[in-house]
Amino acid sequence: MEQIFFYIFAVIAVVAAVSVVVSRNPVHSALFLIVCLLQVAAIFVLLRAPFLAATQVFVYVGAVMVLFLFTVLVLDIGRETVVEYMHSHAFAAVGAVVALFVVLAYIASRGTITVPQGGFSEEVLAKNVEVVGRALFTKYIFPFEVVSFLLLIALVGAIVLVMNEKGSKS
Amino acid sequence: MNCSCGVGKRIKDFVKSALFLDFIKGMHVTLGYLFSKSITIRYPDEEKWIPYQRFRGRHTLNMTSEGKELCVACELCSKACPTDCITVIPMEDDTGIGITDRVAKVWKVDLVRCLFCGYCEDACPTRAVRLSREYELSTTDISRTKFEKRELLLPESVPEQVHGGGIAKAKFVRSKDGIKIVANLGKMKKMRW
Amino acid sequence: MIDLALIITIIIMVVKVGLLTMILFSLPMPLTWIERKVAGHIHARLGPFRVGPHGIMQPMADTVKLLFKEDIVPEKADKLIFKLAPLIAMIPAFAVFVAIPVGGTWTVPFIDQEMNLYVTDMNVGLLYILAMGGLGIYGIIFGGWASNSKYALLGGMRSAAQMISYEVALSFAAVGVVMMSNSLSLVDIVNTQGGGFWNWNFFYLPVGPVWFFIFIIAGSAEINRIPFDLAEDEGTLAAGFHTEYSGMKFSFFMLAEYIALVTVSVLAVVLFFGGWNPPIDYTIPFVPIAFIWLFWFVIKVSVFIYMFMWVRFTLPRYRYDQLMNIGWKILIPISLVNILITGFMRI
Ligand code: SF4
Ligand code: SF4
Repeated sequence: MEQIFFYIFAVIAVVAAVSVVVSRNPVHSALFLIVCLLQVAAIFVLLRAPFLAATQVFVYVGAVMVLFLFTVLVLDIGRETVVEYMHSHAFAAVGAVVALFVVLAYIASRGTITVPQGGFSEEVLAKNVEVVGRALFTKYIFPFEVVSFLLLIALVGAIVLVMNEKGSKS
Repeated sequence: MNCSCGVGKRIKDFVKSALFLDFIKGMHVTLGYLFSKSITIRYPDEEKWIPYQRFRGRHTLNMTSEGKELCVACELCSKACPTDCITVIPMEDDTGIGITDRVAKVWKVDLVRCLFCGYCEDACPTRAVRLSREYELSTTDISRTKFEKRELLLPESVPEQVHGGGIAKAKFVRSKDGIKIVANLGKMKKMRW
Repeated sequence: MIDLALIITIIIMVVKVGLLTMILFSLPMPLTWIERKVAGHIHARLGPFRVGPHGIMQPMADTVKLLFKEDIVPEKADKLIFKLAPLIAMIPAFAVFVAIPVGGTWTVPFIDQEMNLYVTDMNVGLLYILAMGGLGIYGIIFGGWASNSKYALLGGMRSAAQMISYEVALSFAAVGVVMMSNSLSLVDIVNTQGGGFWNWNFFYLPVGPVWFFIFIIAGSAEINRIPFDLAEDEGTLAAGFHTEYSGMKFSFFMLAEYIALVTVSVLAVVLFFGGWNPPIDYTIPFVPIAFIWLFWFVIKVSVFIYMFMWVRFTLPRYRYDQLMNIGWKILIPISLVNILITGFMRI
């Protein structure tokens, strides 16, 4: 049962992900991206990680929204300019994608599709949020803090950039 | 704005906005209106508006109490009219339908052009033409916008004797030309506008 | 072979979801009537009065009108997204209700069977609702963009920016509730508020009321109600994001909007006013407890729906920069301070 659902979600996710790249209109890409992310969230539910699923939807809702705003406000939807701009990077990009696929294929060939339950029993996993929270704030507190610090730096950096621009104008 | 009272005012404003005082005041006003009486006139099928006497609606031609036409076909109204919408053609008459031997053969007003200024009633030497309280003039038939003497001589739906304006209950009247909704003058609530 | 218990569970689930969907589909009809009546009486008018007694059949007449209206798709529109957008707006609005409890677990008399007055008790219910509620905004944005009209596009963009700003404050309010109730599950949140009205999160002094006001302000911004309805600002944007929509597509947007109104009212009740719990615990002999729960739930939700309508016809619309100021410079700092205070209180 779960396998069938997994394959349905996975196929839709992959198709949507390919469509994100292939579709010519950036707004269509954004729509497909949402579809893809929702499918990934569904797979998280299958993996008994509802917290991650909800967070996935929650966080990426905002993220894609911002992406969409940028698409409409900043991108001039002229396809030629995009093609021209991409030309010089094409080889590097293809190389990176191929390398990524090799790595993914290697990992996939060594693993299995079903998930090991880890050190948790079904009952504990039902309290998903607590498990995630406890792990995040005890075992993984250092990476967690580093990530939040990085995000903070990015935030401050963005603000500084905008402020400089304003200062030079006035 | 001097500085010393500025601080006090700012604190006051802060407290005001923190406690949503202005918001509550606004909500209170609308709550009051919510329970106030509605001013809607449920025209036409339940209530009908009776205009005040100085209202300028469709024209009527008046008659004396003996039933003689007051109009002497002097054409002053037609001359006074700024939009030239009254047509008067006089004729000799000795059958005594008018107060003199000169009566109107044709007395026609084109309401599409009329701007209800009331100059015609001011010009009339015999007070024959009056602007009545008839206001339901909309029609889908362009010929219904021209009124002939025959129709204008009919008594008004709201007679001159009814003083002041108000809101009357509506009454359905069935006749051979269909259903008409008329004001029930017996049940009229006087209003002061 | 066939597991009878499983089949019964599935049947009950399907019945519950079906019932919920039916209620939600029919709810906007009385709501439009009530909203127009409230609008009328606040304006010292009567509101709809001609179709049926006191205009009660007006929504039916409107539905018939919308069904038979020509469904126009603008020639230069992005046809697919234009047609999809009303559905994108509507489906999440319905999906949210799966996680909302209208009552606790109730033992049905005579058959001695336990029954839950909610579809599922999700472990992450609150997060799920916030996530789904956020998805609904995409309908507005895509609809606005796909119409290929400047009014619609501006409406959609405003909605996006507004949603990004107020989602933060709304999530903070949710965090506050989670801190006060120690759970993300809505059933648990309501259960911790049982016993009497002094246990409700709203009366968790001093932070409860502050969280409530943050929630209600951010919530009304999220569902585009006046005073935050910049996405469909009649004064400047014709009709905002749904300028180009007509017929059934338009009615889907309206449906989504009314269901969102119900959602926020229900959430306000569940998170701050004790959900189905009566203000003071009592039982009436021979009346099942479930009826008491439903009664109080409906009463509380109605009060909030009425509040939203009342506010709508009282306040003017905020200007765009004022909107952003309220979101970023007032609500978010207050939330941050409030989180700190709540944290200290919970230690
Ligand atoms: S009311 Fe004025 S416009 Fe109308 S017929 Fe009389 S004079 Fe002419
Ligand atoms: S209505 Fe008066 S002004 Fe006009 S023609 Fe008759 S008498 Fe003269």
